[in-house]
Amino acid sequence: MLIPVLFGVSIVIFIALRVIPGDVAATILGTDATPETLAQLRKNFGLDLPIYEQYLQWIGGVLTGDFGESMRTGKEVLPDILDRFAITFELTILAAIISWIIAIPMGILAGIKRNSKTDFSVRVISLLGVSVPNFALATVLILVLSLSFSYSPPVGYVGFWEDPIRNLQILFLPALVMGTSMAGAVMRMTRSSILEILRQDFIRTIRAKGAKEKIVIFDHALKNAMIPILTIIGLQVGVLLGGTVIIEQIFSLPGLGQLVLTGINQRDFTVVQGAVLFIAFVFVLINLLVDLLYSYLDPRITYK
Amino acid sequence: MMKKEYLLTFILFAVVAIMVACSNEAAENEGTDENTSDGENQAEQVLKIANDQEPAGLDPHKTPAHSSVRIYSQVYSGLVQLDEKMNLEGDLAESWEQPDDQSYVFKLREGVTFHNDREMTAEDVKYSFERILDEETASHIASYFANVESIEVLGDYEIQFNLTAPDATFLSNLTNASAVVVAQEVVEENGGDLQQVAVGTGPFKFQEWVPDNQVVLVKNENYYEEGLPKLDEVIYFTMKDEAARMSAIRTGEVDLTSLTAKSASLLENEENLDIKNYQSLEYSYVGFNVNSELLSDVKVRQALSLATNREAVADIVWNGDAVVSGPVAPSMGDWAIDVTAHELYANDIEKAKQLLEEAGYPDGFEITITTASTYPDMVNTAQVLQQQWAEIGVDAEISQIEWGAYIDTWSNTSADVLIGRNGSGTDPDRALQYFFHTDGSANVWGFSDEEFDQLTETGETTLEQADRKEIYTEAQEVLLNLSPNLFLVSPMSYVAASKSVEGFTPYPHNGEDILEVTKQ
Repeated sequence: MLIPVLFGVSIVIFIALRVIPGDVAATILGTDATPETLAQLRKNFGLDLPIYEQYLQWIGGVLTGDFGESMRTGKEVLPDILDRFAITFELTILAAIISWIIAIPMGILAGIKRNSKTDFSVRVISLLGVSVPNFALATVLILVLSLSFSYSPPVGYVGFWEDPIRNLQILFLPALVMGTSMAGAVMRMTRSSILEILRQDFIRTIRAKGAKEKIVIFDHALKNAMIPILTIIGLQVGVLLGGTVIIEQIFSLPGLGQLVLTGINQRDFTVVQGAVLFIAFVFVLINLLVDLLYSYLDPRITYK
Repeated sequence: MMKKEYLLTFILFAVVAIMVACSNEAAENEGTDENTSDGENQAEQVLKIANDQEPAGLDPHKTPAHSSVRIYSQVYSGLVQLDEKMNLEGDLAESWEQPDDQSYVFKLREGVTFHNDREMTAEDVKYSFERILDEETASHIASYFANVESIEVLGDYEIQFNLTAPDATFLSNLTNASAVVVAQEVVEENGGDLQQVAVGTGPFKFQEWVPDNQVVLVKNENYYEEGLPKLDEVIYFTMKDEAARMSAIRTGEVDLTSLTAKSASLLENEENLDIKNYQSLEYSYVGFNVNSELLSDVKVRQALSLATNREAVADIVWNGDAVVSGPVAPSMGDWAIDVTAHELYANDIEKAKQLLEEAGYPDGFEITITTASTYPDMVNTAQVLQQQWAEIGVDAEISQIEWGAYIDTWSNTSADVLIGRNGSGTDPDRALQYFFHTDGSANVWGFSDEEFDQLTETGETTLEQADRKEIYTEAQEVLLNLSPNLFLVSPMSYVAASKSVEGFTPYPHNGEDILEVTKQ
């Protein structure tokens, strides 16, 4: 399944890029374009070849691990993708952790105290989290912190292994923004999941045996409620990995999203093709992992 | 009891989250302190600039993008340059003379070294210009030097350019930020491409480029002007979001950034900032496909010009910080004619209606204005024009397209009405011949006028300044009357600089002159 999907993606993205108006030569030269320089530049990039020949050249390279070079910067595409993926991945994981810190306790609380004021507040907050777009939240956060607290996140990204503290400072705000919008959905799932479990017979049995409420909730209810929660978290991580474009742009993070966006704006075909293929690969992989996770969490599910 | 425990758990989480946030801010402050006291020297001069776009590569001969130019122009030098008053002065060339109308001899400075410590000689100048002219390079400035016939090295420090015909624009074309001298061995080591490296003779050395993050330049200790540059290091951060740039400059995370007029007015009252502005060399325009049935009629174009209130465009789109412009932007000084008195700039609705009637459109017509969604000012301009033109019965629809598609539309003239912005360059020849001559490379409009063609051809080969001025004045008049484009306004450009930055004055053809900048 994995191979045909990736092949399909590679063909679609390859053709799509060549169908949309504008090419790399025209975007590079802008108003300085003369017909001769345009033709020469297209020739330099191999864009004068028939499209199937261009595709075969590219896909042939990809199969041997050579994703080609950026048409704008001449940089090798694959190492660049991997570097940037590391950043997007770290951001996603941080966002996920923040969303759990916010969502799971609040979801549990709301579940236990159904229809109380707490429950009501949690539901309002989660609805806000789901419905406020994260780019709006990001801009408001930047402006409020800057105007009221004279704080702005440090500029100039540094990797985690270079300077972990500075790295976390840089990623904290974007992760918070992404985490809060992710938290809304997780909170709702946690609440309804807990509610459902608490109504089940085995909980009543445990309570009847005189177990403390703490043990009932954490050892029994939560453990069982985690299955649907984990599923939604897994799916969201997948979505986040591909959906950090705007947040990366607002917070100036050199992640995979920025690479694709800059690539599209500059019509840097090799970069966009490579990055899209890579993202597709990660998506397929995550889907596979989620499927495997199902059967691990619930042994009744098996795959033949 | 149970209630309390859960409440406690939640509070604990909340406290941890807040602590994390606070410790970040505390650590952040320490971080900045550390930065300033870093290294052996207490007074390490580091200038941090926030850029709105990622550089599109560093090869000066291949990359016209402004985001690239602002960086490589600090690394490379050309033969001549313009001073603040737009007068020519030597850069790598100490002096120059013209043995005859068609040749130029440049005497080069001696002892200038590339950043790899090799001496720069006339051979390098020859190599660089041959690289520009080489078809394989596909250089965007090849067209500027198309009439260079040959380049002769007369000695280590002497070089002669022979032209096919007298060319009054030759010297000012040499001031182009892309007409710079590169080192042959560096080009060859990098497979003929300089997009990733930069080894020049300029005031700053290229250190690193981390894509979508930062470009670091360091002082060239051997720069040929004694005592310059004053900064030890310049870091360009790519920050595409304007709110993020504003926040960073307010809080001192960066020292310098360019801004739009609207953001500049928001930062006006900041104590720690200086907002500097300068008249840009750009102007906004409405381009017409003069081969379309409707717009091939000059009366229709003139009617649209009369229906356009350019002052209102300046007020609404640019907060009033723009001046009405013709095809040569007013910041080009004497070359620009005073357009405000021109009859087609009078915003005379009655006359416009009358012209439309004569053209056979008494009730107006429907049209689509195409604009680039990437630039808010272009979108706003389209909206203002939509309203203004409605007064003479023109029913305009606005089509916003993304930048790559916009460039494509522009070069194929696939839109009848296109909003755009042009740079006038540094010579009127560029502003006129290149954009509007029948064979002009950037004349995508299909415009052709014999009188105008002749004027600009004569202008190019006339060396006497006073005669040239007369010729270009006439050419501008012709262009305004025929209105292949409606020239609108030339906006101000804004730079916000921290008060700690000293000696920084932006001017039209160099908005980021940091050679003599120091930091307190």
